[in-house]
Amino acid sequence: MARVRRAFRLPLPARLGLRARITFAFAATTAVLAALLAGTTWGLTRENLINQREASATRQATLNATVMSERVQANQDTEALVAAMASLQTPASSRPSVELRQTDDTWRSVSLQSTFGQAVIPDSVRDAVTGGDSVRMRVTLNGEPELIVGIPVNEGSAAYYEVVSFADLEDTLESLAVSLLGASVATTLVGGTLGYWLSRRTLRPLANVGLAAEAIAGGRLDTRLEGTEDPDLNVLVSSFNHMAQALEARIDRDGRFASDVSHELRSPLMTLAASVSVLASRRGEMPDDASRSALDLMEGDVARFQQLVDDLLEISRFDAGVARLSLEEVRLPELIRQAVAQHRTGRAEVAVELDAELAGMVVRADKRRLVRILDNLLGNADAYGGGASRISVESAGDSVLVAVEDSGPGVPIDDRGRIFDRFSRGAGAGRRSASGDGVGLGLALVAEHARLHGGRTWVEDRPDGAPGARFVVQLPVARA
Amino acid sequence: MRHDAGVATRILTVEDDERIRTAVKLALEDEGWKVDEAETGEDALERFAQAPSDVVLIDIMLPGVDGFEVCRSIRRMSDVPIIMVTARDDTHDIVAGLEAGADDYLTKPFAPKELSARIRAMLRRVRTTDSGATHLRFGDLEIVPEEGVVRRGGDEVHLTKTEFRLLLELANSPGRVLSREVLLERVWGHGYFADGRLVDVHVRRLRTKVEADAANPRHVVTVRGLGYKLQT
Repeated sequence: MARVRRAFRLPLPARLGLRARITFAFAATTAVLAALLAGTTWGLTRENLINQREASATRQATLNATVMSERVQANQDTEALVAAMASLQTPASSRPSVELRQTDDTWRSVSLQSTFGQAVIPDSVRDAVTGGDSVRMRVTLNGEPELIVGIPVNEGSAAYYEVVSFADLEDTLESLAVSLLGASVATTLVGGTLGYWLSRRTLRPLANVGLAAEAIAGGRLDTRLEGTEDPDLNVLVSSFNHMAQALEARIDRDGRFASDVSHELRSPLMTLAASVSVLASRRGEMPDDASRSALDLMEGDVARFQQLVDDLLEISRFDAGVARLSLEEVRLPELIRQAVAQHRTGRAEVAVELDAELAGMVVRADKRRLVRILDNLLGNADAYGGGASRISVESAGDSVLVAVEDSGPGVPIDDRGRIFDRFSRGAGAGRRSASGDGVGLGLALVAEHARLHGGRTWVEDRPDGAPGARFVVQLPVARA
Repeated sequence: MRHDAGVATRILTVEDDERIRTAVKLALEDEGWKVDEAETGEDALERFAQAPSDVVLIDIMLPGVDGFEVCRSIRRMSDVPIIMVTARDDTHDIVAGLEAGADDYLTKPFAPKELSARIRAMLRRVRTTDSGATHLRFGDLEIVPEEGVVRRGGDEVHLTKTEFRLLLELANSPGRVLSREVLLERVWGHGYFADGRLVDVHVRRLRTKVEADAANPRHVVTVRGLGYKLQT
């Protein structure tokens, strides 16, 4: 069989189904996109916010530095400076401090908060400020982002510092991040759902293909896919239909061939049957035992040949799908008794056991097929089980169970499924009974006839524990 | 074998396959019948027109005029028992053969003894009534068993032997239902497993002759699931 080359493969576990993979791919792509978008948004927003805050904080600090410059000139008392700083327009989170150059060139620091000391200001900032430059620097203090603004005041005789905390900004950014993450997760879910829905939609035609293939496998060979408006799918539809048509034509041809062969065989068989009957009527006039033995063999095998041709025709009708039930009201117990009586081959009488409630039961069934089922089961019992020993008919729900038991060696468990295959023989393959009854289509036909009625066939051990096989046919036949 | 007035029963076999024809003739002669052969439908019709046989055996698959047509043509000339032979046991062929006027059918290959039994059953004298009555009346239908005559509303209706036997069997059990199995046995001499379609098609044919409206039969009534009965 030609292999279809794989053009590409998604790097996903091969065990996943196509639908799962499409869903997964959609979800993954959406997740990546959402994360990218959220990350960018967060980064830009953060940068923007911080810049704004920085600018406003610097402006305010410059303003404050001017205010403080006047105060420092007026009064250098610590209390006065603290009071002055307390009156400054500063954001809640900012901490101003003023450093004053002493006469010995050391610096005195005055802060609004006692915890705030010189240690907080990095040396690099202080050096720059004492050198006469205004400085702005972003630092992390105690794990929190802060901005330090340093401005020289009064020609370098003092310095104004302000430390502004961005902690509230971090809170804002954090809640933004949470919102963005939530949005990303939601988007991913939506993406996944969309992928699932799309995959279902996309795969629906494939599901139809599956159903159609199943229908064809089930024997409805005329099953075809309906055309769609999608040109991509129409390629699949038309090639599928083409395949189904080719298959149907081929099976039809094969079926017709078997049927034609069987019909053709009937003509020479007719000549043989008539000729053998002429010879058989002169059996007594035959000169020796060899002639009579030869005649008997011929007579037996003409009958067997005839049975084989009939069975082949029957099975070819099943294969061609033209086997139809011809339903009529059948008195089941009577039919079984008649079938047994007709089949009897000089053996001991077969006991027919009926559920009491089944006496006189009339069912709608195909009478001819029921007879074939019984006859073939009885023939099978003759060939492999030393003849049928008991036939039972039971009612089981809406079905009737017809069972034929024999006293042969039984059927090994391994063979129980295979035994209904065509041309399979009983235990010890190749064993053929001397009577020549073992034409290997009997049980296959039993199964087919039962299946046409919607029933089942199986073989099991005898319920009484005695050696032997019990062939059961379950027929869901409606009581008429 | 002798039939009726001591004249050997003549069977016309119509079969295009020479080997089958020869073998069947040998076997039938062995059974005691006198056999005439025809290779084609035209041949058969010509022979039958010259010297009518007592039974005709027709293979459906004939070159030229086919078996159904031969059957219809002979039926137009005579009510002789006709047995169709078919290699196909398709429902369609069998029902078509019976509707063309055949009394019975056999599928190839058949046993010559079986054929003989069928022929004997067809040639049996019509059983007279159980009650010994000479006239049976069912509404506008009048049956005279002794004469083999059926009248509807006073006009004679032409029935084949098999149709007449079927009607008489039903008439012998007035108002009682006879199953197809019973009718197959009594009219055709068949066993339990014979083809019920024989009865169905013959009942249909009978209705077109004895009923005013064959689609809504008054006399030959179907009893679903059980069989048929005759009523006034």
